[in-house]
Amino acid sequence: MPLNILRLKHVTVVTTKKNVKALRRETYTVDFIKKQIEEFNIGKRHLANMMGEDPETFTQEDIDRAIAYLFPSGLFEKRARPIMKHPEQIFPKQKAIQWGEDGRPFHYLFYTGKQSYYSLMHDAYGKILDIEKHKNQLQAKGLFSEKNKTIDLIGSRWLIKEELEEMLVEKLSDQDYRQFVRLMERLLQSGAAEEEFVQSFRRSVTVQSKKQPIEPVQRDAQGMAFSTSEGKRKSAKAEAVVYEHGSGRIKVNGIDYLLYFPVLQDREQLMFPFHFLDRLGKHDVTCTVSGGGRSAQAGAIRLAVARALCSFVTEEEVEWMRQAGLLTSDPRVRERKKPGQEGARRKFTWKKR
Amino acid sequence: MMMKGGNKVLARSLMTQTLEAVKRKQFEKFHAAASEEQANIERNPYTIFHQALKNCEPVIGLAPILKGGRFYQVPVPLSDRRRRFLAMKWMITECREKKHRRMLMPEKLSKELLEAFHNQGPVVKRKHDLHKMAEANRALAHYRWW
Repeated sequence: MPLNILRLKHVTVVTTKKNVKALRRETYTVDFIKKQIEEFNIGKRHLANMMGEDPETFTQEDIDRAIAYLFPSGLFEKRARPIMKHPEQIFPKQKAIQWGEDGRPFHYLFYTGKQSYYSLMHDAYGKILDIEKHKNQLQAKGLFSEKNKTIDLIGSRWLIKEELEEMLVEKLSDQDYRQFVRLMERLLQSGAAEEEFVQSFRRSVTVQSKKQPIEPVQRDAQGMAFSTSEGKRKSAKAEAVVYEHGSGRIKVNGIDYLLYFPVLQDREQLMFPFHFLDRLGKHDVTCTVSGGGRSAQAGAIRLAVARALCSFVTEEEVEWMRQAGLLTSDPRVRERKKPGQEGARRKFTWKKR
Repeated sequence: MMMKGGNKVLARSLMTQTLEAVKRKQFEKFHAAASEEQANIERNPYTIFHQALKNCEPVIGLAPILKGGRFYQVPVPLSDRRRRFLAMKWMITECREKKHRRMLMPEKLSKELLEAFHNQGPVVKRKHDLHKMAEANRALAHYRWW
């Protein structure tokens, strides 16, 4: 029996003619990948020796830094720069040969096309049925207790489709993914068992507000606590100093805010952080602002004041401020004018002839 | 929609003057009325404003749909946002066009808002006309495919 079917060659196609036939996807044999891994490990040790560091404790971050140092690249596209990563991350994951010598596939669901996906769905459904059967047995015996040990779902999310595809090494469609999520939800509903199984398909979501850097509170000469921070809007930059105890006076560039911002709308913008936290007359503010126009300066001061107030306020209130949009800097800037158009969007008058 | 040429300051001042005018008129009515009716007269200009706009919102709108070479006006449901926009737009256009040249915008707007608050006046009439048209073209409703 010819053994050609088992010999998978690493094919490289040299094209001499213009019309290229459809290339088959390059398949990497297990031996090839193993060799690459060995070469990578040896290379890692050489690199550690070159940099003068200990080869045993040379992490991936150290490798990245070493490569950036030894091969400085001026390319803008980060993915085009030289990298040295573990072959698992570079070569796409491929399945080993799914069938044996006689051509008979190993997996019982091979002919569905997506064997791992369907076997996973089958296992999950089997678990649901087991839980139901268990519940029915308990109910029949009368030992059924309503102890609902709900698995903590807060702070975690289901796998996204790309992550699931990567896990199963198979292409999925949107409907497949939705069906999978529905089955998982059903599994959770039917009973609080199989925690590990479910948790293996969830990823944690970092809480956004913890990333907000809070300014430290400083003390000045008279012992009054204050905190400073900066804010930007369009092309206006502002720096605000918020004193903890005060009577609600605001001074902008040495001028009282009533005289600096004659328009009510701007003063409302300044008031917003205090009004939101119910601290209208309790803080004094001194700020400097430059650049931009009247509205942009007001927005910049508002952001600076909100950021400075973070240090005087509880974490929960910081989270509320973040959700109210007080701590996000407005990304809108003036769009440039393009050639061939009159403005950023407006085109020249169209003439038919 | 009140703003022209980016002059937000002017638009804002017009609105505040309108609300002030509304409040003044309501207070005059309040002081002139007997004590039983005084409970019915609404004096908060913001409630009057919101209620007036709500009274002007159409429930159903017309969309021109091309079928067989002719445009038919087909009754179509409107989203919340569209309804609010139409109410505001009718109010403003009506105030701009149908007033005496010397009459100021706040005066005219306050008059229209009070009339709309009581479900009278030209804006509410326009809303009713639209509803009647939609009711008349009911037969074409199946031309809508969304």
